[in-house]
Amino acid sequence: MPHMTAFARNQWYVAAYSHEVGRELLGRTILGEPLVFYRAKEDGAPVALGDRCVHRRYPLSESGLDGDRIVCGYHGFTYDRTGACVYVPGQKRIPRTARVASHPVVEQDSLVWVWVGDPALADPQAIPRARHLDSPGWTTVRGMEPIDADYGLLVDNLLDLSHETYLHGGYIGTPEVAETPITTEVDEGAGIVRVSRHMDDAECPPFYARSTGIAGRITRWQDIEYHAPCLYLLHSRIAPVGVLPEADGSDPNGFHTEITYAITPSADGKVYDFWMVSRDWATDDAEVTEFLRSNNHTVVMQDVDALNLLQKTLGSERAGYQELSINIDTGGLAARRILARLVEEGDKPVEKAL
Amino acid sequence: MSAPTGEIYRIDWLPGTDVLHGTCHCGAEHTAQDPVEMWEWMLGHPEGHRLQPQSQPQSEPQSQPQSPERAP
Repeated sequence: MPHMTAFARNQWYVAAYSHEVGRELLGRTILGEPLVFYRAKEDGAPVALGDRCVHRRYPLSESGLDGDRIVCGYHGFTYDRTGACVYVPGQKRIPRTARVASHPVVEQDSLVWVWVGDPALADPQAIPRARHLDSPGWTTVRGMEPIDADYGLLVDNLLDLSHETYLHGGYIGTPEVAETPITTEVDEGAGIVRVSRHMDDAECPPFYARSTGIAGRITRWQDIEYHAPCLYLLHSRIAPVGVLPEADGSDPNGFHTEITYAITPSADGKVYDFWMVSRDWATDDAEVTEFLRSNNHTVVMQDVDALNLLQKTLGSERAGYQELSINIDTGGLAARRILARLVEEGDKPVEKAL
Repeated sequence: MSAPTGEIYRIDWLPGTDVLHGTCHCGAEHTAQDPVEMWEWMLGHPEGHRLQPQSQPQSEPQSQPQSPERAP
């Protein structure tokens, strides 16, 4: 039986990077809904519509644009940016039901967020921020890998970084990660899980040693902030061992790296893994940029391979299999519970104000 | 995302031990060696949650319903 976490509707999800949404139609399936994205010529805003023509369900993402209208590549049904069908071939009468769904979209921090659920409930203010992704003074490398695994497995993976020691040894993992106790904090109403691991005296993993030039041991802080269901921020600080921020809060001798993930459920047992690494050091050094891009891509692919394997393995388990949680799982368990609550809230019929 | 409620739960894994120390948003504290048990206690609020003076023992019979107490 395949491992599956239910989807939380009435939430914002990252559908794409800003640079992916342009004048070429982009198809993405989010929470099981096929969507098509493009950037309107009229005002440059991203548009998200249902990706199936009402006529014979042809994928609109495999069709073409005529100005800001999508012309279905099969029989020419034509849709405006609100999803209304404005032309059908050979006749003047357009059936009243000829419309594809239009989804609220917000472009922010170089990410294109889409609302999946009741459009009347979409509040752009509720989207968590990741300002470092397009702020001056920061350089970001990024990518996206589709994984054939339940999105809950990726949440588990990212909330428990002790796996770095074993799965990512030689890249970002060192013995101290798995050995160091964590603190976990849950802000129930905001749906945020925070997991912190502060290592006072740790080996510097190659990912940081080769990029920062630090030769010896380091003080390494990992502060996770998971804004359920989609945005995961890992605030990473490293510095030569014993070097701490100044009393006034400034931190001129620390290397700050923001590791951002967007965890977007695609279909049952499939997830989009958007990964980004931003730094406020050596920002103009192209060699460092390429090293971090390629090194982090390797790390992400180690996770992809592991989660593909885990999903396959869980799929062959008997129903009701047992798992065992220990202290390292305290944050992951909190995230699972918050997700379960969001799923429940998203499934409830909402009473609309009259 | 829901509106913030200010309800913060915190669990510290005490360095050098296998012990988890939990603090509920109401101020009640609990120790355990199993995160599943810890979350069950935490989310059981207000059941078994009572602010304890530091000098008193941590463990309380959890079968006795307690009235919820608020953190200051």
